[in-house]
Amino acid sequence: MRPLNLLALLLFLAGATWALTRSPGTVRSMQATYYRAISPFLTVGSEMEVKARAFLDEVDHSAKLQAEVDAMREDFGRLKLIESRFRTVEAENASLRRALDFKQRNPFDVVAARITRRQPTTWWQTMEIDRGDKSGIATAYTVVTDGGLVGKIDRLGEDRSTVILLTDEACQVSAKVEGSPEVGIVQGQREQFGTTPLLRLRFLSPNARLREGMRVFSTGKGGVFPPDVLLGEIVRVEPGPLSSEALVRPSVDFQNLSTVFVLTPQKDPSVEEESAPAEAHSPRKDGSR
Amino acid sequence: MIRYLFSILIMVLLAVIAQQFLPALTALSGCRILPVALVFLCAAVTLPPPAMLLVAFVCGFLTDLENWMGPHGGDRAVYEVPVETLRFGYSIILYGIMGMLMQGIRPLFRRGNWQFSALLGGIAVFLYLTTEYLLINFIRGGFSFGQGTLMKITFSSALTTLFAPLVFWILFALAERFNYTIRLDTSRRRPGE
Repeated sequence: MRPLNLLALLLFLAGATWALTRSPGTVRSMQATYYRAISPFLTVGSEMEVKARAFLDEVDHSAKLQAEVDAMREDFGRLKLIESRFRTVEAENASLRRALDFKQRNPFDVVAARITRRQPTTWWQTMEIDRGDKSGIATAYTVVTDGGLVGKIDRLGEDRSTVILLTDEACQVSAKVEGSPEVGIVQGQREQFGTTPLLRLRFLSPNARLREGMRVFSTGKGGVFPPDVLLGEIVRVEPGPLSSEALVRPSVDFQNLSTVFVLTPQKDPSVEEESAPAEAHSPRKDGSR
Repeated sequence: MIRYLFSILIMVLLAVIAQQFLPALTALSGCRILPVALVFLCAAVTLPPPAMLLVAFVCGFLTDLENWMGPHGGDRAVYEVPVETLRFGYSIILYGIMGMLMQGIRPLFRRGNWQFSALLGGIAVFLYLTTEYLLINFIRGGFSFGQGTLMKITFSSALTTLFAPLVFWILFALAERFNYTIRLDTSRRRPGE
């Protein structure tokens, strides 16, 4: 090997080693710089995608009508979410009356966001939304629709962010089954190319008495997702000698998502005071909580 | 040579931008065209090893910046078996290996047979995606390689290869513009290169 080639190879390996040993925080800041640099192109690209989608919709509807429908859909979703939250609060109040050791759940607000890009990477189940740091969103915030959990914020930009979907293998949610003492971890499966991806609920007890149709909710444990967010319903139970597993159909139709909601801490100062010690929505720079 | 290398680095940046406009084709198992890999593979066969390694580093670095996913986070007492993510920087190594593979047929390319390079480019993309997927399997455990994955990799490689002649045409034009000789059979190396 020529000396120059050898030197180049050594420098290449040194550079690769340098990159491989970067901490998640450093990578996050490099990513932020990168996405800030290509942000204008991303905006144009996503605008083109949204326009193309809107153009197809206009075959049946006028642009004005479509805008009205979009706005109403957004409002409808938000109101359904608020109603769902209201019902949970009502149930909590009833529970408070019965038990004195009640602990109030962490309150949250919602930020509506539009999906601008779907599946921007080869292997990860992700999507991009048109809200970011400027809208008060931070890494690891929960993303929902009126149907249930969508995922969480993974990469954050000023006015856009990437959501890792519930259907991705890396998105784990501590979950409980309605009407059962069973708790486990819900996560996506690696090879999901169809239109109806299934989730896997793992670490259930070997004698789990579960049946098809039972609903699965988040427990709120683990500090990533808030409690009582609907994840899906059981379609099949796979008993095992050490632990059982169940396949769960997500409650959200990921193929037809257009608007999502990001849960953010409530802005009311009196509430903020109460929620300050809680860390459920206080992300760290490395993406963990 | 410096000006040609510089123009390739600009092409890589343009490919990064073009990538933002190319959606995944859900009808074809979610496959996608990989313009950065394509530009690199075509350029790798036209460059000497040190310059190829520089471009490999830049391409791998930008690819990881684009795709790297952060750790899941959360309480380890609840999420006892966290899903591992690929380390930032692994693409640099993969690009380096792909580049070396392309360098293997550089003598053939320099004799004017760019078609072999285009074909090998497709094979290199296939190997790159397969290796990437196998790495994911390795670090996360539970090996699975279904038909869907195979189709995704195959379609991505085939679609990417289709654009190789266009990239080679641009590279030849750039080489001529900057007086860089990449084919021995067409002209002799000019002084001052």
